[in-house]
Amino acid sequence: MFRHTPLRYATLLLLAAAGILYAFTTGYFGLEILAEIAILAMLAVSLDLVAGFGGMVSLCHGALMGAGAYAYALLSTEAGLSPPLAMAAAMALAGAAAWLIGAICARTQGIFFIMATLAFGQMGYAYVFESPLFGGDDGLAGIPRLDLSALGINLGDSRTFALFCLAALALAYGFAALLLRSGMGRSLVGILHNEQRMRALGLTVWRTKADMFGLSGMIAGAAGALAAQHSMFISPGLLSWTVSGEALVVVILGGLGTLVGPLVGAAAFVSLKHEVAAYTNHWHLIVGAILIAVVMTRANGLFGWLESRLVRLRPSRSTDDA
Amino acid sequence: MSDTGFWALQTLNALQLSMLLFLLSIGLTVIFGLMHFVNLAHGALYALGAYLAATLAGLGGYWLGFLLAPVGVAAVGVLLYAGLIRHLRQAGPMAQVLVTFGLIFALLDLTRIVWGDLPLSLNTPEVLTGRVALLGVKYPTYRLFVIALGLAVLAGLALVLNRTQVGAMIRAGVDNDAMAACLGIRVERLFFLVFCVGCALAGLAGAVAAPLLSVRPEMGLEILIPTLIVIVIGGLGSLKGAVAGSLVFGFVQTFGAVLAPQLASVLIYGLLAAVLVLRPAGLFPARG
Repeated sequence: MFRHTPLRYATLLLLAAAGILYAFTTGYFGLEILAEIAILAMLAVSLDLVAGFGGMVSLCHGALMGAGAYAYALLSTEAGLSPPLAMAAAMALAGAAAWLIGAICARTQGIFFIMATLAFGQMGYAYVFESPLFGGDDGLAGIPRLDLSALGINLGDSRTFALFCLAALALAYGFAALLLRSGMGRSLVGILHNEQRMRALGLTVWRTKADMFGLSGMIAGAAGALAAQHSMFISPGLLSWTVSGEALVVVILGGLGTLVGPLVGAAAFVSLKHEVAAYTNHWHLIVGAILIAVVMTRANGLFGWLESRLVRLRPSRSTDDA
Repeated sequence: MSDTGFWALQTLNALQLSMLLFLLSIGLTVIFGLMHFVNLAHGALYALGAYLAATLAGLGGYWLGFLLAPVGVAAVGVLLYAGLIRHLRQAGPMAQVLVTFGLIFALLDLTRIVWGDLPLSLNTPEVLTGRVALLGVKYPTYRLFVIALGLAVLAGLALVLNRTQVGAMIRAGVDNDAMAACLGIRVERLFFLVFCVGCALAGLAGAVAAPLLSVRPEMGLEILIPTLIVIVIGGLGSLKGAVAGSLVFGFVQTFGAVLAPQLASVLIYGLLAAVLVLRPAGLFPARG
């Protein structure tokens, strides 16, 4: 079951402090990176929710994020909905799509689940890529950001927008943590440990899986709506399976099933990408090598490794692995 | 062009695509069937085969590349097996997916470093340039050669799998690896053999595809999803499944693009989703 250990609290506080401090000290480029980290971290948290706690390794979360982004873009420009309403609708749409995918895929296991979600994700990608409604290969431009001027907040400013993304990430994280503490979250972890027993206890397994997948998709959709506002431009590439793959890499890099780890992973991944990109064009090679190294050492990512090291130092403390 | 000629042309195109996919998917599917190992880097090996073929063709003509590219890719396969895959055998599908995903990244950039970003092109060998009149259309000889090669590989593999002792051992391993090991079959060695042959076939597919497409670093990533669709539709682990899946994909993709261009790719993913829901093990699963 998911629990906030002191180490997890400390890491969260550290991350929040670092994020806010960075937002107030860095320039334009740093703020862009910060917003990118926050959005990627939201996607990673939503993926960890289902992959780390339900064993549902999804390769369609990129597509769900893209669905949120496209829904937001179309509803706020073409349909003329006000941005907050468009954002809510985009989240609902992505959540509904995710629920449907989760319900259909719930009875498949392991590699078949991965393949099935890949198929649905690619279906969305192919549809968006070819349909003229979505601007095809050219994507859509001129997407407005939320207007919070009533609260005295101007999201056109990149510092304010980066802070807004951090706040959204905090909300998403809190929501995910609450979900995992709830009855449904506990049931999901139960399914991960022993699906047969949960079924014998009278749980409708596919419903729990689908509900959790839907809520996770909602968070991914919110990340997508934010991503659309961040760059104010979207293209079908957002839905590609490699985006889902990268999100999975972030989760693994940080620590699967820790919920805090994906935040660490997102910060490490994006910083690494920009650091390496300053020296060479071949950052994929470095990321690939690091990913292979992390998986081969069987450590559960950066945060998982830290946690297991600290537990080894204090063997009397019992901590759970979920 | 006459109406029948048009359909004959599309059928040949579909067959040619199917045979290319068959070369790629057969290795992947038997590797999975035998050892439940998911190798996402299979597409990267195909790209490597195309690059090797293009380079070797520059040195000694097309046929040198055609013959040596599969050998080169198989050699890379041996390295991958010894360095990574052997250690991943007991890990779950998640670790395998991730490591081979990392391999895709790494191989993609390695090909970029070695061969650059610009696409390479490879001429068809002189014997196979030109067209042959067939079923009322003039069809490029090289594409017919691809179809013939695919059929020849299919016949060869069917012969080995169904008529030889090694084939019987592989089928036994796919059906029940623990029992096969109890009967004294060295399943691990068999897996190594199948893995190398699968890599060689991926390299062959790359060498054959190189004159048809331009050789680009991303080509491996682009072919991966169709290959995975083929093996999932067909059913993991079986030769029959790889053939059926390749044909289904080739025909749906080709005729879909002609008849309903808007829906062509959505159609194939929809088909895949339908197969996964209705027959999760695929059309011709290796084990019952």
